[in-house]
Amino acid sequence: MLSEYFPILVFIAIAIAMSLAFIGAAVLIARQNPDQEKTSTYECGFEAIDSAHIRFDVRFYLVAILFIIFDLEVAFLFPWAVALGDIGLYGFFSMVLFLAILTVGFIYEWRKGALEWE
Amino acid sequence: MYVTIVFLPLLGFLVAGLFGHRLGPRGAQIVTSGFLVIAALLAMIGFADVALGGHEYRIPVAQWVSSGELDFHWALRIDTLTVVMLVVVTVISALVHVYSIGYMSSDPHNPRFFAYLSLFTFAMLTLVTADNFLQLFFGWEGVGLSSYLLIGFWYERPSANAAAIKAFLVNRIGDFGFSLGILAIFLVFNSVDMQTVFDAVPDHAGSTFSFLGYQLHTLNTICILLFIGAMGKSAQLGLHTWLPDAMEGPTPVSALIHAATMVTAGVFLVVRCSPMFEYAPLALDLVIFIGAATAIVTASIALVQNDIKRVIAYSTCSQLGYMFFAAGVGAYGAAMFHLFTHAFFKALLFLGSGAVIHALADEQDMRRMGGLRKALPLSWSFMVIGTLALTGVFPFAGYFSKDTVIEVAWAAQSGLGEFAFVMGVAAALMTAFYSWRLIFMTFHGAPRAAAKVMARVHEAPKIMWLPLALLALGAFASGFLFSDLFVGDGRAAFWGSSISAHGDGVLEAAHHAPVFIKSLPLIMSIGGFLLAYQLYLRRPDLPGKLARTFEWAYRFLLNKWFFDELYDFLFVRPAFRLGHFLWRRGDEGVIDRFGPDGISKVVALLAARLRRLQTGYIYHYAFAMMIGLALILTYIVLQEGGL
Amino acid sequence: MRQALPNLISVYPELLMAVGAMVLLLAGVIRKTPSIDRLSRLSVLLLLGTLLVLWLLFFRLEGRVVTFNGLFVMDAFGLFMKTLVLFGSIAAILISGPYLKEKQISNYEYPILIVLATLGMMMMISANDFMSLYLGLELQSLCLYVLAAINRDRQRSSEAGLKYFVLGALSSGLLLYGISLIYGFAGSTSFDALALAFADGAPTGVVVGIVFVVAGLAFKISAVPFHMWTPDVYEGAPTPVAAFFAAAPKVAAMALVLRVLFGSFPELDEVWRQIIVLLSVLSMTLGAFVAIVQTNIKRLMAYSSIGHIGYALIGVAAGTEMGVQGVLIYMAIYMTMTLGAFVCILNMRSRDGMSEQISDLAGLSERDPMMALALAILMFSLAGIPLLAGFFGKLYVFLAAVNAGLYTLAVFGVVTSVVAAYYYVRIVKIMYFDKPVVTFERPESKSLSMVLTITAAVNSPLSFILIGPLVQWAAVAAGALVP
Repeated sequence: MLSEYFPILVFIAIAIAMSLAFIGAAVLIARQNPDQEKTSTYECGFEAIDSAHIRFDVRFYLVAILFIIFDLEVAFLFPWAVALGDIGLYGFFSMVLFLAILTVGFIYEWRKGALEWE
Repeated sequence: MYVTIVFLPLLGFLVAGLFGHRLGPRGAQIVTSGFLVIAALLAMIGFADVALGGHEYRIPVAQWVSSGELDFHWALRIDTLTVVMLVVVTVISALVHVYSIGYMSSDPHNPRFFAYLSLFTFAMLTLVTADNFLQLFFGWEGVGLSSYLLIGFWYERPSANAAAIKAFLVNRIGDFGFSLGILAIFLVFNSVDMQTVFDAVPDHAGSTFSFLGYQLHTLNTICILLFIGAMGKSAQLGLHTWLPDAMEGPTPVSALIHAATMVTAGVFLVVRCSPMFEYAPLALDLVIFIGAATAIVTASIALVQNDIKRVIAYSTCSQLGYMFFAAGVGAYGAAMFHLFTHAFFKALLFLGSGAVIHALADEQDMRRMGGLRKALPLSWSFMVIGTLALTGVFPFAGYFSKDTVIEVAWAAQSGLGEFAFVMGVAAALMTAFYSWRLIFMTFHGAPRAAAKVMARVHEAPKIMWLPLALLALGAFASGFLFSDLFVGDGRAAFWGSSISAHGDGVLEAAHHAPVFIKSLPLIMSIGGFLLAYQLYLRRPDLPGKLARTFEWAYRFLLNKWFFDELYDFLFVRPAFRLGHFLWRRGDEGVIDRFGPDGISKVVALLAARLRRLQTGYIYHYAFAMMIGLALILTYIVLQEGGL
Repeated sequence: MRQALPNLISVYPELLMAVGAMVLLLAGVIRKTPSIDRLSRLSVLLLLGTLLVLWLLFFRLEGRVVTFNGLFVMDAFGLFMKTLVLFGSIAAILISGPYLKEKQISNYEYPILIVLATLGMMMMISANDFMSLYLGLELQSLCLYVLAAINRDRQRSSEAGLKYFVLGALSSGLLLYGISLIYGFAGSTSFDALALAFADGAPTGVVVGIVFVVAGLAFKISAVPFHMWTPDVYEGAPTPVAAFFAAAPKVAAMALVLRVLFGSFPELDEVWRQIIVLLSVLSMTLGAFVAIVQTNIKRLMAYSSIGHIGYALIGVAAGTEMGVQGVLIYMAIYMTMTLGAFVCILNMRSRDGMSEQISDLAGLSERDPMMALALAILMFSLAGIPLLAGFFGKLYVFLAAVNAGLYTLAVFGVVTSVVAAYYYVRIVKIMYFDKPVVTFERPESKSLSMVLTITAAVNSPLSFILIGPLVQWAAVAAGALVP
């Protein structure tokens, strides 16, 4: 039972080793010439540390929400793709129907101009 | 067909009531009268089918209420008793509708009047076709309502309003008894369906039930309660005071409601419940006593009244008394027979007096009439026919029905029967006297009206004559045509199972009464005529002298045995005083202070506090939700005892 | 593992609505200048069509049909509730037109959102599993959040939408938490399976789960103490939206309460009846008392609806078939009363725009006697004056409570309805006896007058005739839910 998870342990070990190697290499080899802009954290065009009450563009949220919707859709597609052989035509068309409904939403947001930045 | 009969008037009411303005008076008259004429024709066909053909029907209309053990349908119970009432109600109502077209022609609220008339007819028809007691009660209250509306039709007159309210209130007392009776029926029989109740009655004969610790005879109690209802509606002694006042309404209303139909509902109720009354000896005795007492008391009051309509109104009370004591001795057929003929001749008298009032420009006082025979020959002849029928002169209708009633009282061979017989005969004498007095004062002697009025006296329009002529025909012929069916040898086949045949022996015995007994009413009636002739035509100075000589008696009668004053003293004024006391001291002083005023103060305070919870902040709301949830959870889990 | 197509016949109405709503949405979005009027008309037609299909369908089905692996159920109870919901939604769309025009709200999504919300409600009513329950509930709620904020240029409307959304999310969380607790103990989310699993009592964990589920649902029917959103949302949201909120979703949520409690925990009634009694008492009290001090008629209606939900819950608390029947009758009558009252509010338009102050109703009987009469009938009916429809609604739930032995609750209901009668009758008093201050110019709209006439007529003493068939139909529906 537990032995089945052994490959995962290996993966984790390799991942840790690799990341340690990269960071260590950067510290040892690279030329260090820091300034303020370079040391600050990067976050999507905002100041990382700032007042929580500032206003920012609502369009960011729009894009984020639309992204999440389609992201979730993909999350449904993975298990469906794996099981497609078992669930047959019925399963296939169920997903087609789901995608069709999603497409309606997509057409709506497109026509509404939600995908345009300006 | 029967459903049509019942609902045509309702349709007429709705059309005239809702679209009266658009239809105009003419349209409303045509619609309502047309519907009623159709209904009357259908009712006659129904009469032939049921009463003569011997069929009986039970026609379901709709499921009405179903609640626990209380379950009843709206259905029409069509038997002989019903069709007799159907014919009376629809025919008289149709004739009154037609008559009113002429009588009310100058009234601006014409459509409203006709709508009310049709509404009344609908209510009366549901009353007589009722298959269960609640339906009966519905019709009962319906006629009460429309009667109230019609008495107060001229609502600009304070006296009309007062009369309407009086009629309504006095009827309430009766209705209270009636509704208690229905409750008692449901309590005892677990049903309000008439057939079920009547079938179960023999099982409850002599049984008792306890109420507030008293053991009460079941059927006597129920029947007395029902009879109290009947007394109110039929203006029997004690609850009769509203009927004369109700004459404030338009005359066609008096003819339809307060002579021919609604006031006979009480008689109908007693006859309808005859299977139950048979097992309630005490109640029957009460019916006889009240009936006989009413017959004599109200007849005596009628002797001295001067208002033409009031005379006829008291006469109606008195005749209703006859019907009741006939029913009381068990001769239900005789009671119904008198109801049937009475409807015709009393409606005729009212409508005839209406024609007189109409001709004299709304004069109702007989002291300002007289000598109208020349000017109003038609009215005179119709009134005389009505009077002949009322006083029971052969071969007019009253002769057959009233004589039968008096004979059955004699044939009952009981103490109360004897009482009723004596009272009935005495009342017959008075009836003849006051009826002829009315004719003589109105039509004979020297004219006492102002010359200006006399010059303009004219016969009413044709449309008012047709109904009068038909009613006169009924007053003349309904006696000998139907006597065999209602009370004669054909009665068993005619009534079928619709009334109890228990008291049939009385009718049989009445037929074998000695000739002296049989002729006594006729002798009385002739005596009354002669007396009236003597007093009012030959020696018109005598009545005044008599009144002066026996002033106390005269005053006593003129003031209607001081019933109104007595009630005023006993009930009305103490009620006002009590009301005032309760209002000032009880209500405002105690109850308001601690009750409404106090409570409302507390409520307002509480509401203001609670309102402050509604802050508008989401986190407060969420907090409230969570606290609420936590409290409920705690409570439930503690209740469960799980933790 | 090949699956056959599930039985689709019983979901035809929902399918029709779903497809129709999407077609309407596309039709709206593809046009350059979509007309909200036309889409409203089409939406009404769609809902009417659904109603027709629903009824035709029911004559073909026999008894209870379960489909989609037990997720979806169709029975007489569903038919009753869906019919009510559809009528409520149709009325809501019908009465919206003039208000939207007045406020220059031209979002053509408005009727489509109502249709989608209705679809969610139909799903809720037919849910036979916590999964389908949650899906339907969220579809409905999401649409309602948007509807509340549809007038997004106005601060009150946005505020209402936001409040509703945040608190709604909280309640959904409670609901889900309860569901997960119950699932943890039973290993199933199907109502039928739960009923079997807890046939002989249940551990305390399940009781806690039930409390959470009921709390989540109580939010949707706005029962105290989960009612706080109601007055703010009713006041802030556009009036026709508030009318919609007060009618159809309440009916659907009440259907859910009944389905969940009677469908999945029939043997645990001792537990949930206590919760319901508590909610009922609190709702009736708060609804009766706080409404008295309101000056805004929409807030008043909000508290009134809280109170009425309390009365309907009396029937649930009875826990009997008769109780369910009472609830169904109550909800049907409540819906007509509320819709009618809201139409009157929509009619309160003066020269200065829409009015919401109760005091502006003064002297309405002189200015607009027909509307005053209709509103008076509706207020008397809401107060439960005998012979009007509202009286029968109360009568049947009280009867059920008495038959179930809940005398105290019934007495409590009577007492609070007396208190509540005060503010209903006060409105009538203001209309008939106070001096007029404002003259209303009723928006000219046939559909408004139609809805008002119908609701006032069925609440008038005419209800005497209608109550018989309604009671019988409700009995059939209740019989389908309570075996």
